[in-house]
Amino acid sequence: MAKYPFLQEASDYIQETKFGFDEFDRPEMIHIINRAAEKLENELKGKVYSNLDEYEIEIMTFLVSLLLIKSIGLEEVSKKCSLFEAMRVEKFLSSDLSNERSSQKKRLLVEKIFQELFNINIDFDSKSSICKLSVPDYLHRASRMHEQEWKLINRSVKDGFVYLDIDEAVRLVRNELSNLIYTRIKNMKVYDVPISIKLKADELRKKYAGHYVHRNQFKILDYPPCIKHAMEAINKGENLPHSARFMLATYLLAIGKTEENVIEIFKNSPDYNEKITRYQVEHLAGKKGSHIKYSVPSCDRLKSEDLCYAVRECENLINPIQFGRRKIT
Amino acid sequence: MNQIENTNENNKFLTEVFRKYYFENKYFPYLYSIEKREFGYRRFDSMVVRHLSFKNIGELVAELVRNVPLDVYYSNAYYGFPSNPINEKQWEGADLIFDIDLKDLDIPCFQDHTYYVCNLCGFVNSEHKLCVNCDRGKTSDISLPCKRCFTAIKKEAGKLHEFLRSDLGIQDKFIEIFFSGNAGFHFHVNDPSIRILDSNSRANVTDYIIGNGFMCESIGVRKYGNGFLIKLPKSGIMTGWRKKISSSLGINQKSELKLRHIVETNGGYDGFRNEINRIAKKFGVQLDSQVTNDIHRVFRLPDSINGKSGLTKMKCDDLESFNPNNDACLLSDSEVCINLKTKLKINLKNCNFKLENTIEKVPSYVAAYLICKGLATISKNQ
Repeated sequence: MAKYPFLQEASDYIQETKFGFDEFDRPEMIHIINRAAEKLENELKGKVYSNLDEYEIEIMTFLVSLLLIKSIGLEEVSKKCSLFEAMRVEKFLSSDLSNERSSQKKRLLVEKIFQELFNINIDFDSKSSICKLSVPDYLHRASRMHEQEWKLINRSVKDGFVYLDIDEAVRLVRNELSNLIYTRIKNMKVYDVPISIKLKADELRKKYAGHYVHRNQFKILDYPPCIKHAMEAINKGENLPHSARFMLATYLLAIGKTEENVIEIFKNSPDYNEKITRYQVEHLAGKKGSHIKYSVPSCDRLKSEDLCYAVRECENLINPIQFGRRKIT
Repeated sequence: MNQIENTNENNKFLTEVFRKYYFENKYFPYLYSIEKREFGYRRFDSMVVRHLSFKNIGELVAELVRNVPLDVYYSNAYYGFPSNPINEKQWEGADLIFDIDLKDLDIPCFQDHTYYVCNLCGFVNSEHKLCVNCDRGKTSDISLPCKRCFTAIKKEAGKLHEFLRSDLGIQDKFIEIFFSGNAGFHFHVNDPSIRILDSNSRANVTDYIIGNGFMCESIGVRKYGNGFLIKLPKSGIMTGWRKKISSSLGINQKSELKLRHIVETNGGYDGFRNEINRIAKKFGVQLDSQVTNDIHRVFRLPDSINGKSGLTKMKCDDLESFNPNNDACLLSDSEVCINLKTKLKINLKNCNFKLENTIEKVPSYVAAYLICKGLATISKNQ
């Protein structure tokens, strides 16, 4: 329970002890609040907090961390701390599954984390330490991961099952665990936050709020090769496939071009029809039809559709939108 | 776009033979959960009607017999409200569908039976990509697939079937193979656990089957500085693509030294990666990834007529023995006169037709095939 304070057993423990939130204002609880704050600061600095204490302390620290994050009220803090909390668990879980000698305990852990929490039927062979899960269960999780190694083709696959070693299986659920913690924070309804936690949250907010003001403001210095290629083709009057038009239009809209700018570029298409082009561009911009603004397809998707012309600078990018951009300071 | 020369006689003839077909073949046994599907069709004037829904097969057949479309489509998706606009349909899942098309395979004889039909004047020639008659029109490639073409595509379909069964573990009862009615095969997978996969997960499956994105690291070859090192994965190299690649290289879990030698022989990490890509292309299946990845697409309805050929999208129980030009040719035998635009030879319903005259009397299924391909028109003098 100390390592996995998000499990139902931990909530049951708090309920059984009839612990009330106002008790956090008692002087002997200050070390728990300070410990939770220390953990958060570690996470905000991009470090996994590895210290491990008695299970009562860990459960309380986890609860205070959630209250602190909720009270800080910054989206970025919630997301980052959820991720690092998940990475902390990942570390413990990998180590427990590798080092625990009792196969019964290992199985119990797999059952608690994978089956009860995430509804994944995972078959764990404690002798070989290999986990087996169904292809759909794998795909639901792995398709959100951008690293090439998580593509199904790079996995050990047979008869509808994917075989992973312990570290891989645990890594697979990291995002899900992070989302679970994030959702818990988001759904927490706390009307009376204890004063001591509120004061600590105010202190942390002042310290970290400035870190997130200018995030996500970028200037594009160069177009990625996939976009350049599509632009060249269209300038030569070549007929671009639908997928390439989609990529080009969503990219240009994403970097701030107006719909008029985009329509102008498509004028060179051999089958150009202003009415249709306008409707489609406005649709992609979220101004027509479903009113959803479409995102630029990922590099992975473009590779699948034969639209990728990667150069060295494309390495490690997951979306063309990341190419050639510089942060505006 | 269809290639049918838009004349009253052509449209009237096709409408009659198609209507007769829908009247006599009103069962659609491979259409499941009809009330949850979106339907659409293409009319003879090329206009597309979408967002239709039917409560039962009877309603669908009534519509087909009444309006006689050129092509009929239905969604791979299951919707709560199939006739609503796309963002209000309430998506509940979608069959996973694969499309293998002759045009994507590099078949040597393909050009030998390809005709170029002018999109403006309908003139046909077998050599020029620009119309030599009106001098203005772009042409469309129209192919009359031969036995060799079908053998090649069936081989590709067999590879796909094996991927679905052996690698992805999909049971045969969830896989239905259809001849598309023209030049390809559609694989419909309606396994409930697959139905809920999103577009990214489907793209992951497509890449697996095509052989896209295999990393040398997956069989233990890692880049290290300017060189490489070998570290075989704990989860083994004897399953899935790892097995296909390692078997092709002649290595197994204990062949570290041999693998090192192979990488060196290929000129190091980069050369080895090129070799892996070449092998992956050989084992992968050529298919249209966009079709499979789309969770809101409409597909030709099984047992409906393909307006590009007059053949039927037909369930295929045994790939090897299936003969598209015979088994999917279901239109009537009654004879009609056609004006041929070019001399040609075809085989339909196990009969050879050597058509050399400008006007020929042929069975309706031959007439429909050639009119749909844009290679003939119905003769005014019957």
